[in-house]
Amino acid sequence: MPKHYDPITIEIIQNSVQAAADEMFAALRRTAMSAIIYEVLDMGTGITDRNGEIAGSGAGIPAFVGVLDKTVKRILAKFDQPGDIEPGDVFITNDPYNGGVTHLNDMVLTMPVFADGQLIAWTANIAHWNDVGGMVPGSMSTEATEIFQEGMIYPGVKLISRGEPIRSVFDILTANCRMPDYLIGDLWAGIASVRVGERRILEIANKYGVDVFLHALDEYMDYGEQVILNALKKLPNGVYSLEEAQDDGQIWKVTVEITDNEFIVDLRDNPDQNPGPFNMSADDAIIACQIALKNVTVPDRIANGGTFRPLKVKLRHGSIFNPKYPAAMGIYYELSIRLHDLIIRCLAENMPDQLPAGGFASICGTLFGGIHPDTGRPYAVIEPELGGWGGSPRGDGMPGQFSAFHGETYNCPAEVAEARYGVTVDYLSFHDEDGGAGLHRGGKGVRIDYRIRSDNAWLTVAYTRDKVPPWPLKGGQPGSSNHVIIRRADGTQERHAVVSGLTLNKDDVIQIMTATGAGWGDPMERDLELVKEDLKNGYITLEQANKYYGLDKRSA
Amino acid sequence: MIRVATDIGGTFTDLVCVHADGTVSTAKSHTTPQQFEQGVMDVIKGAGLTPSEFISFVHGTTIVINAITERKGSKTALITSEGFRDVLEIGRGNRPDYFNLEYQKPKPFVTRFLRREVPGRINYKGEETKALDLSDLPAILDDFRAEGVEAIAVCLINSYANSAHEEATVQRIRELWPEVAVVGSYQITREWREYERTSTAVLSAYVQPIAHRYLDNLTGRLREEGMTCTPYIMQSNCGVDTVHNARQIPITMIESGPASGVWGAAILGRLIGESEVIALDIGGTTAKCGLITGGEVTLNTNYMVEQTEVFAGYPVMVPVVDLVEIGQGGGSIAWIDEFNRLHVGPQSAGADPGPVSYGIGGTEATTTDANLALGRINPNYFCGGTIVADMDGVNKALDKLARQLHISRQETARGIIRLANNNMVNAIKLISVNRGHDPRDFTLIAFGGGGGMHACTLAKELGIKKVVIPHLSGVFSAWGMLLSDLRRDYLQTQIVEFNSPEAAQQMSDVFAALEEQAYAEFEAEGIDRSRVSFMRYGRFRYQNQEHSTEIDLPNGPITPDMMDAISEHFHVNYEREYTYRLDAPIELVTYHLIAIAEVDKLKPQPLPPTNARLEDAIKGQRQVDFLEEGVHDATIYDGAALYPGMQFEGPAVVEEAETTIVIPPAMSCEIDEYGNYQILTAPQGGSNA
Repeated sequence: MPKHYDPITIEIIQNSVQAAADEMFAALRRTAMSAIIYEVLDMGTGITDRNGEIAGSGAGIPAFVGVLDKTVKRILAKFDQPGDIEPGDVFITNDPYNGGVTHLNDMVLTMPVFADGQLIAWTANIAHWNDVGGMVPGSMSTEATEIFQEGMIYPGVKLISRGEPIRSVFDILTANCRMPDYLIGDLWAGIASVRVGERRILEIANKYGVDVFLHALDEYMDYGEQVILNALKKLPNGVYSLEEAQDDGQIWKVTVEITDNEFIVDLRDNPDQNPGPFNMSADDAIIACQIALKNVTVPDRIANGGTFRPLKVKLRHGSIFNPKYPAAMGIYYELSIRLHDLIIRCLAENMPDQLPAGGFASICGTLFGGIHPDTGRPYAVIEPELGGWGGSPRGDGMPGQFSAFHGETYNCPAEVAEARYGVTVDYLSFHDEDGGAGLHRGGKGVRIDYRIRSDNAWLTVAYTRDKVPPWPLKGGQPGSSNHVIIRRADGTQERHAVVSGLTLNKDDVIQIMTATGAGWGDPMERDLELVKEDLKNGYITLEQANKYYGLDKRSA
Repeated sequence: MIRVATDIGGTFTDLVCVHADGTVSTAKSHTTPQQFEQGVMDVIKGAGLTPSEFISFVHGTTIVINAITERKGSKTALITSEGFRDVLEIGRGNRPDYFNLEYQKPKPFVTRFLRREVPGRINYKGEETKALDLSDLPAILDDFRAEGVEAIAVCLINSYANSAHEEATVQRIRELWPEVAVVGSYQITREWREYERTSTAVLSAYVQPIAHRYLDNLTGRLREEGMTCTPYIMQSNCGVDTVHNARQIPITMIESGPASGVWGAAILGRLIGESEVIALDIGGTTAKCGLITGGEVTLNTNYMVEQTEVFAGYPVMVPVVDLVEIGQGGGSIAWIDEFNRLHVGPQSAGADPGPVSYGIGGTEATTTDANLALGRINPNYFCGGTIVADMDGVNKALDKLARQLHISRQETARGIIRLANNNMVNAIKLISVNRGHDPRDFTLIAFGGGGGMHACTLAKELGIKKVVIPHLSGVFSAWGMLLSDLRRDYLQTQIVEFNSPEAAQQMSDVFAALEEQAYAEFEAEGIDRSRVSFMRYGRFRYQNQEHSTEIDLPNGPITPDMMDAISEHFHVNYEREYTYRLDAPIELVTYHLIAIAEVDKLKPQPLPPTNARLEDAIKGQRQVDFLEEGVHDATIYDGAALYPGMQFEGPAVVEEAETTIVIPPAMSCEIDEYGNYQILTAPQGGSNA
């Protein structure tokens, strides 16, 4: 006879677990040392059940929601002997081949929660660390050919044992980092965060009883699955395929099969693994699919272990989406956004009245650094860029926001960048490059000019959607391009989308250009009044108004 | 010889009046959105008062926040630095609703055509690197005139470090177009972050013409009626300000109502010896909570208008009392989703139709209805006996939910209250634990119509040992206004490396300059410098960190020998907030000076002693459902017959005309000398939580 649980108590426990994940997020954000964590919010927090299924996530970026469960499952598999996992322990990993999922810069901390002598849950967080060693400052290089060149690997090791820091692991961590002060600050921020989560979970379990707590999490997973299954039934069943050329000439392929209770993504027929860092782990390929599934079903913020049960992902070992060890994968994030965009495009071209056209869809990961001209101290910038999103069946695309990979992510204000890095921001606004005309326009891309103020600075970027622009729907115009123009002090110019360790000197300008999103629908059908308003507001030039929207002909 | 506070709310304009003998009277009249000042005059007349008798008049108004949220401000334009036209539209680029492919960003308050650039540049150190060129300004203003612009905001890059270009631009606009409302960001804040500062300047300009008209009309009417005292306007920083200053920067009124409630809680806390306080205001639609530590209200300068879990909102960079607000109040509607899960709020039945129990058309059960069904509110003394609660309707509405949930009516009603409480507990955690404070170290002061109904249960859940329900909790915010001083906050971002030999001198100089600025501004309004006092704070951080910790700093000259103590003060505060300290250099990022000029204000007096007996306050016994603690026979007290010194134990319910206080079993309540209910949530000495 099944035990009866009070549904209100169950719901209150679920809400409280979510509140605990939010509290962990606040704790990590408040205490982190690196701007990329506390300001860009390149971080996530989560609570899993005892088996490692995600039960609650702190706000952050969608690409990190599905990471932490995979880490916990790997720790559980690795530490499988009695006494391996004890109260007060904290584990650390950054190894994408071993539950670290993303790349070596992303450090995951996780802590078991014990009540009444049994393991009842895990708390975990992930955050981007500025530097974890490797061949270049910042650890990410487009020229790495093995993961060893991308930093020190922590393959799921115990960092704290029964509440006591393991000195040797701390020493190894700090010794293998170019910015150990940051590392220590970020590390303790992460530890504080998992400990806050542990305390909260214990309070909940002690108040309602371990048995009720465990049941509440199980029930929550089933609820998550029901929500997704209801939404899947509303999507047209079918098998959808797409081939898409990439900037480097490779062809990527995806097949998505939607049934009433499954969402199957087949990625087996894709290029062999890249000799450089343009690979992503199998776990991370699954996350890109998870984001797409959420986007097209129930795009609210609830995502738990049950949410992704209908998802099946087919991968080929040795391909870019599941490379063989020790392939490098520092630039995994760019594959992640590309793969996500590929899946959405595959569906959108078959459901153009439901989904938006393509956006700039690149992380536009920008790394530069050098010596601060006023303080003499080294600085390093690691930031994603803002770009334009595609027009949709319901309206114009949004301008200047982060890609689908990111979420509650904030750009660095020009005033802060100028003081902190000693660069001058000459420009931070939209640009006028062609692209995105449509019945519903693509959102505007952004131009940012960073003027370097001291010699021997360096720049690394790895953008996509440079040569192959954002994809339109229903007769719209493709978007523009993501790239960087280097305007040298001597007046010469270079254009890049992928470059590593480029040297910059005083008064050289990094002009970042992100794509305007693609248009949705025929621009010649756009309301003339709207075209005139866009022209007056400078969202389009007179030439664009005439050429793509036929302003002159249609007004005549 | 009377002191008056009036507060314009969404539905009613409230008035609180303290007479010369210390007695208090209140009045309400309808808010008059066409001409808000009319409602103020109405309520004064309705209370039988004459403005010529006023010795103080404090006014709080929602006019600013309403103009913004209802988009009823003036047509506004923006002048910004060359290259930064789209900062206002780009914002920070975040997408809080992060799985939504069609997230809609906040629409800027100034269309792109009206966002114009001027050449010229100041660097982050405040040095001019390119001269300001205003030669295009006349043509830009011509465009603005042609578009019907009524207000102009000016925000230039790095004006926080040096406002010369911004001041020159504002000055030139005033010369070229004296009639237009114009504001420079430097007049409002000297903190960095261009998007936030631009948004602040824009929103201030947007409400400036409306606020000018309103304040001029109001003071004009009061003067006509013979008022001679200086009227003060409640501000979001928990102080009041002169009409003159409120006219200049109306945006600082944005959260004046909630600020006065939190301020009231701070003052009440000081009065009864509680320096660590969580203030909780539960109204019909929302619950708001604020934090008081060391007797001081917590302020922030990262206030957001319209921000939600899924919407980025609009930043306003002025000192606003740190609030967490959620859609949970007496009118919050209970509903069931497609997966058969019960939810409460954020939709509210409002005042019309209101909860089912009002009997004027509401059909969906609300928190108030559930409280009635559980005997927590007396159906026979509903709203002070002015309304006969429609219990048939309440039962019907609850049964509808109960059938769907397959639980009893009572379990459903309990579920509604428990979920509402859970939401409020999480809100209190946001304001306390998520800011690094342990709620168990705090006293909960709860007010508003629903404060007494929920406070004890919330406190128990959070491990809070003491709950205070203030005397006059229904008009508590207005009471807070009568206790406010003239207060101005000056913030200045300027990074100081703390270990540099010049640091002490730099800090002394900046504070001295800010203090001179404050003196000058007060003196210009006839307030002598002898009345002005200062509190100094600094926002410090470890070098290269962004988020800072604000610590108090000594007044007077800061000398090198004080630096070790200051830095230790920072480390201790930092460690308390963040659980660790670093062996890293520290920096001062932002100076924060609070200038206070005492005004002649209310001094709360203890209530006179009486010979009344507790037994005479007992109205009877009733079965009351205390949720997780079960159903108990509770003693019902008449709040109007309770006097200082009386003590009683739960289970009990106190009924006042405007509120009900539910005291669960094993809690004890004492009426203090000011008439407040002081409730201990655990038997004394019985808890070591």
